[in-house]
Order: sequence, then C-alpha cells, then structure tokens
Amino acid sequence: MNERQKDLVQKFAALGGLFVLVTVFSLASPAFFSLGNGMTVALQVTSIAYLGIGATCVIITGGIDLSVGSILALSGVVAALSVRAGVNVPLAMLLGLLTGAACGLVNGLCVTLLRLPPFIATLAMMLVARGVALQITDAKAIGGLGESFAELGNGSLWRVARIGADGFPDVVFPGIPYPVVLMIVLALGAGLMLARSRLGRHLYAVGSNSEAARLSGIDVRRVTLFAYVLSGTLAGLTGCVLMSRLVTAQPSEGVMYELDAIAAAVIGGTSLTGGIGTVSGTVIGAFVIGILRNGLNMTGVSAFVQMIIIGLVILVTVWIDQLRNRR
Amino acid sequence: MTPPPHPASSLLCLSGVTKRFLNVVALEGVSFDVRAGEVHAVCGENGAGKSTLMKVMSGVYAPDEGTLSLDGQALRFASPREAQARGIAMIHQELNLVPHLSVAENIWLGREPLRGWLVDRRKLRADAQACLDRLGVTVSPDALVSGLSVAQQQMVEIAKALSMQARVLIMDEPTSSLTDAETTQLFRVIHELKRAGSGIVYISHRLDELEGLVDRVTVLRDGRHITTRAFAQTCVDEIVALMVGRTLDEKFPPARRCPTGETVLQVRGLRRAGAFGPVDFDLRRGEILGFAGLVGAGRTEVARAVFGADPVDGGSIALAGRALAVRSPIDAIREGIAYLSEDRKAHGLAVKMAVAQNITLANTAAVTDRRGLIRAGDELAVARRYIEQLGIRTPSPRQVVRLLSGGNQQKVVIAKWLFRESRVLFFDEPTRGIDVGAKVAIYELLDQLACTGIGVVMISSELPEILGMTDRVAVFHGGRITRVLETRATSQEEIMHYASVSASPQEELLAS
Repeated sequence: MNERQKDLVQKFAALGGLFVLVTVFSLASPAFFSLGNGMTVALQVTSIAYLGIGATCVIITGGIDLSVGSILALSGVVAALSVRAGVNVPLAMLLGLLTGAACGLVNGLCVTLLRLPPFIATLAMMLVARGVALQITDAKAIGGLGESFAELGNGSLWRVARIGADGFPDVVFPGIPYPVVLMIVLALGAGLMLARSRLGRHLYAVGSNSEAARLSGIDVRRVTLFAYVLSGTLAGLTGCVLMSRLVTAQPSEGVMYELDAIAAAVIGGTSLTGGIGTVSGTVIGAFVIGILRNGLNMTGVSAFVQMIIIGLVILVTVWIDQLRNRR
Repeated sequence: MTPPPHPASSLLCLSGVTKRFLNVVALEGVSFDVRAGEVHAVCGENGAGKSTLMKVMSGVYAPDEGTLSLDGQALRFASPREAQARGIAMIHQELNLVPHLSVAENIWLGREPLRGWLVDRRKLRADAQACLDRLGVTVSPDALVSGLSVAQQQMVEIAKALSMQARVLIMDEPTSSLTDAETTQLFRVIHELKRAGSGIVYISHRLDELEGLVDRVTVLRDGRHITTRAFAQTCVDEIVALMVGRTLDEKFPPARRCPTGETVLQVRGLRRAGAFGPVDFDLRRGEILGFAGLVGAGRTEVARAVFGADPVDGGSIALAGRALAVRSPIDAIREGIAYLSEDRKAHGLAVKMAVAQNITLANTAAVTDRRGLIRAGDELAVARRYIEQLGIRTPSPRQVVRLLSGGNQQKVVIAKWLFRESRVLFFDEPTRGIDVGAKVAIYELLDQLACTGIGVVMISSELPEILGMTDRVAVFHGGRITRVLETRATSQEEIMHYASVSASPQEELLAS
C-alpha cells in the first residue's frame, strides 16, 4: 500500500466514523436526522472549522495557537463597537478581521523575531486579548447592533420562500446559511493552499525539519509568520460571524474554543510534532466534535458527560493514529 | 566451509538465528560467536543484517528461530536491560544520550549510585571521572551533553558502556565521528578490554581500520552468513568482495580526465571570531577541491559560512569574479551555491515528506504555475528523472524519505541540488554511514558533476577518499587552511602532517 492509498484509507476511516455516529444518533433520536438539524449542526461546526483550519496550518509548522478563543472575542467586540460608533457594517467587520490579523501578527513576531516558544507567545496573547476585550466593553455585552449586522450570521444563500395565503412566508428551502458557505469556501481555499501551493509546501517543510527548510532556501520566518497571521485572521472572522449570529458582542465569548480547534485538527490526523495534517481531516474532525455534541444533546446526555466522551474520543483517535503510523 | 561455532569455547554464541519482520527475512540461519579476549568484526553492506544481528545479541529483538547462549548456557533475553544485567552492552551508532543532563549523569543513567534515597553526587562524579580517564577523554563529568561535539558524545557513549563492566561489548561504527587521535585512544582501550578478557563485536564501514585491531571477521550478505575467518588469513579487498558479492577493482573513478577551468569561487579573509579564519581559497570550474583536517578544524564552519547558513565577521566571497553579499542560504542558493550537510537527517531532509517533495524543495518555483500552484505531474516527472539518473532505490516518488536507506537519502539530497542547477556544491562528508556500493555510486556522481563544469568542494575525514577523488586539497588546522596541496603530488602522511600542526612561519619560509 503506498502513501496515497494509506491516506485515502485514513480519510475513509474517519468518514466511516462520522457515518457510524450519524447512524447511531439517528436511531436514538428521530429528530436528529432532519434537514433542519443538519443545518443546525453545520452552523455549530462552522466556528470550530474556521479556527481548526488556522490551527492546522500553525500546527503543521510545528507550533500551536492558544489565543484564538480570546482573539475572536476581541475581534467581535471591535466590530460591534465600530458599528455602535457609526461605522457601516462591512467596514466594521473588516476592522474586526484586521484586529484578528494584527493579533496573529504579534503572535508570529513573538515566535519568529523574539524566538519565544509558540505555547508561551500565544498563551500571553490569550490573556492580553481577552483582557482588552473585557476592558473596552466594561465586561458588558454589546447589543442593539441592527439587522444588517445579523445578516452574515443568520442569512442564507438560495433561500426560497413564497408568500403563503395567510400572508406569512412559507419556506420552501431554508437555503445554505452564509457561515456554512464561508466554511466551504475557506476549506477549499485552504485545502488547495496546503496541498498544492508553494506556500503550503513550505509550511510542511518548516514543520518537518525547519533547519533543512532553511538550508534549502526557504524563508522560514516568513512562512511561520504567515501561519500565525492566518490563524489570527480566521479567529477574527470567527468572532465576526459568531457575534453576528447572536446579534450581540460578548467579550466573554469563545472561551476554550482554541482547544476545540486543536482537537478538531488532531482528530483529523494533524501531528502536534509538525509536518503532517490536512484541511479535509480537520473539517472531518470538526464535524465529529459537532455531531457528538449535537447528538448527545438530543439524546439527553448531560453537558458534563459530553465533555468526558469528547475527551475520550480525542485520546482514542490519536492512539489509533499512532498505532497505524508505528507499523 | 567454516566450522560452526562451539558454545563451549565462546562467551556469547548464536546458532541458526532467523529473524523475520512481516514478510522480510532480516536474518536467515545465522551463526555467530564471540570468544573471551577477541575482537570480532562484522562486515556487510547496509541491509545485510548487521544491525538486526546486534539487536538480537543485545536483547532488543528475540530471534524467531535459533538459540543464544552465554557461557555455554542457553538463554533468552526478554529486554535489553536483561542483556545488560548479563554483561552485554551495546554502543549505538545513533547516540542515545540525554542532552540536558551532565556527562556523569548520562554515564550512570538508570544506575545512579544512591545514598539513602538520594543520588550520591560525589560518587557519581568520581566514578564517571574514572571511566573518562580510562578512555583518556578530557571532557568534564559536569559538562552538559548538549554542549559537546558529536565526537565527544561518542566518547561519552563509550565511557557509559565501559562503566557497565560489560563482558561482551558491541560497538556499532564507534569511530564514524571520531578524530584520528580519539580513534587511537579508543583502540588502545579496546586492546586493554581484550586483555582483561572481554569479547568485542566491532561493526565498521571503515575496513582499513580493522588491521591490527581485529582477530576474526564475519561477513554477512542479504541476511545470510557468508564467512567467518581469522583476519590474518584475509585482506580488505577480499572482505569487500565478499560483502558485495562481486569483485570491486577500483573504489574510485579512474583518474580525472576533465580539465579544470577558470576560478568560479574566490574566498578571501573569511573569518568568524572563535570559529575560523581568516581563510582564503579558490575553486575552479570542474574541480573537486578537498577540505581535509581533523574534526573541529573548521571545515564545516567555513562551508556553512560561504553558504550563508552561519554569520561571518568579515571577508569577501566572489562568484565568477563578482562580489557577493551572502546573508542567508536564500542569497547563496539564488547565486547557485549549494551545501549538503554532514547530518542529513537534521539539516538536509524533511524526512516526513515524500521523495519527490524533497527533490523539489530548494526549487519549488520551477514546478509552480502562474497561479502559485505546484504542478503535481511535473513534480513527479522531475522526481522520476532523478530517481532514474541517480539510481535512487525507492518504491515510488511518493515514498516518505524517512523509510529510505542512508545512501538513498543522500542521493535524494544530491538530487535536490542538481535540480537547483548549482554552480558550486559543498559536500560535507558525503559518504558517511553509507555502504560500499552506494559510496562508489556517489563518487562517480561527484566526478560527473565536476565534469559538467560545476565547482565541487568535498569535505571528508577519510584520507583515501580525499586522495582518490580530489584535484587539490586544502588542509585545515585550528580554523585555518595550513596548506593547499596538489592531490597528485601528495600523500596521506603529508596531509596528516599539515592537519596536525599549524603552519609556523619557519615552515612557510622553507616551503617557499
């Protein structure tokens, strides 16, 4: 079996796992397998997926980003405050995105220029970004953001509705929520970037052996910097989408999301020692987490037990991964 | 036919040992023994089964068939620890030291002398010092292993084995990174151990060093036992022929027949405080220039500095008459200078990546389209071309490099720089840890490269290699080039002389 076939087998194994999950939950709860719930799951998965894609790139370089949960809160808050200050919505969201990118840039500079361990640099950012978000909002939620702010998080593409006889709209097709569309676009873009672009190749090379990469003429600093900026930017995007969905900006939003993102990447086969990982794997990983949460909720399993189960799933998947690689 | 080993007369005896991994037979019915007070060499190409044999002896693997006996008593080792407890110690080629602990702590790791439940630091240090003294090593027992050179680490590894008071000592390429002085010291210790009644199993690719050291030699090929005979009754050429199963008339390509051209690389006054310099040298087109010298003489440091991998304090580098400002490998590679590291796994290869991806790593732009995407088809075609041209043995261009043998990994690194179309190539110990057959292939390749007009610098610690391959030799000592010699008109002795002594002013006068 060559490497490519092995890769395919791994993909199908993960997909098979997903399929089993869906089947089990469908049998356990009739409401689980419906278009409406499917959309709910997809929506819930989007934030894990955005962050997971960023995490995948950072982890491939051999680093880690613990700050994304805090960055998303700060970015969302910045976007909301901008709207309140009279900035129009698209520009406000762009500001949120830039906030995320700036945080990522600082992370990246700490890692490449100051040569701090990624764990430390992003741990510091996790505290600083959260602190700033809480400080500039007085730890209060920001509401009253208006309908156009809600569009990104709640709108749908190809929504078909007719005005019924009673004067209310009948939804023929609920459409694909914008966050899901965004997830698909991002996954395809990042997947192409990692698998086929020079930049992607350099990310893998840096994570596989940064000294060999440097001696091969790869600008290791710039490649590493890119990974952190991308992760920060995606966290900014997650913040905007999440706050738009809730139509309120919560400075305490996104706590522990970085761990979901890392878990999604790891379940999807990304190696924490760097050099290995794919976007498709991470998206599958995000769905595993999302479906587990949703399905366990619908079958009435308590939130605490859910945490235990997801923790065990991470252990088992990584263990299986290592068993396979050892052979 | 050699008589089968007899358990009664031997210390450690293996008979009919077979070891399989899945479907691959690594050892097939191999018999081998070590007697008290002898040095027994095991020779064979990479993949001949030497490592597996050693691992069976040291308790890492249990044999599938066959028996193992110590002092005539049949036994099985459940673990390397059990083998150690029975007095069998192994010095691995890959160093197994903990970098953040001191030399003394490493030597006694897992066997620390205790006082109550605390480590007896004074005894630990004193005992370690005794082992180091016995080897004649000047390393302090308090030094951190992370700060030691590879050669020093090797000596610590040997000291560790000595500390176990092993009766059977298995040494895997112990001299591969030692200087000649250290090698001499090691051989002295081996003789001493021999006299004390230990049996030593000695594995080495440097067959010429077996002379005067080894009592018997066993040759393995393809997992099978070929012969065991007294070293006095054979010679190096015969052993090589048995190893490869064919006669090897000439290890090196015939005398170089391509004329060298104008100067391609000119280095003047290159220096870095505390490391090397000032160093001057010229490299011509089509020339192979040797960098000879002892480990630590500054050869690697100079090469890395020209390549921009390490900073310099001063000096100039000119390529084809044009001054270069090389601040990083990116600059050097753009100008066509390449450096192949002595440590392939640490500095040369992205081992988790595929062969094809490693080959294009320094020149991904050449297989990238206008949108910035890598053309997978082109990349595979490039990889296939070099796999064929260099004879890289790999099941597929998509194979992960980690799974290739050392010689094939080296060829992948060479392919990487060929694809980059370099004008100047620095090869740092290109044949280290590579079997004889692959060495010859690499020699031929270097020769062909030079003939295409590339300037080649070959750093090597093996003098026959320097004499067989180069046009001129720059001899290093203490961070400076003490002499540049015409290879045709020099000898091992002359090179060794300039490598061991700094060129004093009087000598300069005499030479001029």
